[in-house]
Amino acid sequence: MKMFDRHLSRHLAAYVDGELPPDRARKAEGHLSQCARCRAELEQVRLGMTIVERLPLTEAPESVWNSIQGTLSTHEPRRPFPIHIWRFAGGAAVALILVAAGLYWYSARQAETRWEVVSLNGSPKVASRPIHGVGHIAVGEWIETSGSSRARIKVGEIGSVDVEPNTRLRLVTARPGEHRLALRSGEITASIAAPPRLFFVETPAGTAVDLGCQYKLHCDATGHGLLRVTAGWVSIEWSGREALVPAGASCRTRPRIGPGTPYFDDAPARLVGALETFDFADGSSALGIILAASRARDTLTLWHLLSRVGAAERPRVYDRMVEFSAPPSGVSRDQVLRLDAQTLGRWREELAWTW
Amino acid sequence: MSIEFSKYYRLALAACSPLACAQWALAEEFSLMIGSPVAAQNFQAKSAQFVFRTKGCGKLAKLQVSGNAEGVVNGIRKSIRLSRIAAMPVAGVYALHREWPAEGIWVVNLTGRCDAATASALVPIGPNGFLRESSKFFPRSATEAEIEASLKSLATGTNK
Repeated sequence: MKMFDRHLSRHLAAYVDGELPPDRARKAEGHLSQCARCRAELEQVRLGMTIVERLPLTEAPESVWNSIQGTLSTHEPRRPFPIHIWRFAGGAAVALILVAAGLYWYSARQAETRWEVVSLNGSPKVASRPIHGVGHIAVGEWIETSGSSRARIKVGEIGSVDVEPNTRLRLVTARPGEHRLALRSGEITASIAAPPRLFFVETPAGTAVDLGCQYKLHCDATGHGLLRVTAGWVSIEWSGREALVPAGASCRTRPRIGPGTPYFDDAPARLVGALETFDFADGSSALGIILAASRARDTLTLWHLLSRVGAAERPRVYDRMVEFSAPPSGVSRDQVLRLDAQTLGRWREELAWTW
Repeated sequence: MSIEFSKYYRLALAACSPLACAQWALAEEFSLMIGSPVAAQNFQAKSAQFVFRTKGCGKLAKLQVSGNAEGVVNGIRKSIRLSRIAAMPVAGVYALHREWPAEGIWVVNLTGRCDAATASALVPIGPNGFLRESSKFFPRSATEAEIEASLKSLATGTNK
């Protein structure tokens, strides 16, 4: 898939509003999947739009009307009607417009800011209200399940999220171009059928970005998380640190650190244990165990490690990868060790055929 | 002089022949390669059973791919022509979506044709998706005997 040659800054607003032509939108999606900088800018654009949408409508102050009236009086010929009748008619028109706009805004918001919630077990609560059968969750509201309750949230028109027992989850944004939840604690199972980057789940240690997938996301009371992907693939990102997690793989997350290094669920236990030490504790001795225990399929893990180890250790990771899979033509050892982004992307594309 | 020229010509030809043969031998053989949906790098492959690509086809305009799902359901042999093989934006890459029922055991028989070359793959389907390690690849169409052998291995659990 071809990508934009430059960053998307000038096109992000149009992309969010769905105004890009289909072919350019696809190219933008491809670029976003590879560019952390543009993804961060995209989040800013979406945040700004969210803030604007939440601004309350208010009437213009009287002084504004007086100013307009004063200007009209200066430049237009005197009319036969008295000024007070003119002002009354104008005020009524403004009020009518505001009421109509408010009604339109309210009905549109109702349509897009509430998602259907179905109780699968027991009585889950939305905004402290128990749900029996079918209910709704609005933007800003929390859904909570007890030890014996479960719920299913219909995510707009693009899929569903099962809320497992003992879970707290908030609806952050509900728009056609952005569906966003925040998982405080517990577990969800997401099943999304949509183009990438329409569905997000925030946790204390990273945001899971749907790239077309099914996955389980668990977050405990301390903010420690585990993402397990069962179909498609997910990108999990936090503060410039990201991990690509395909089906059959998992990734741990920790607050203030973000996503760990992804690993396949059938990876040797030694490798998984050493990876946890490497990611979240003093990992200097763990790298040797990871490299020794890795298999051909674990190039997923090794590829991510390339940018997570120091320059002195990077050749060890590269050499181990090459034992499993020769780099494609155009990918040199020197470029990889320098963490050339295009080179790493190219190698990942080739490695993905073995994952 | 013409005889000398002819001699030198034959010498030159003889010298070039090994080079020509080497060139021909080094050309990549047409083959198929399978992978998980993530390998397609495209969300359209998200729900695919697996993706596959062709290698060594110098004339992509003449590339043709097809597939059958070969299975046994309640002791009855079934064969389903696959119609949902979706071409991905990257040339030569395809996503294969499930068109066979959940019951029974199934092996996907893929065939690719590039001009005069043919390649095929037999991909067993397990409970958690395709079985990469048990897949077999051929520089020709798979035979009926090979398809039956693959189904038998799947049925007896000798596939991983």
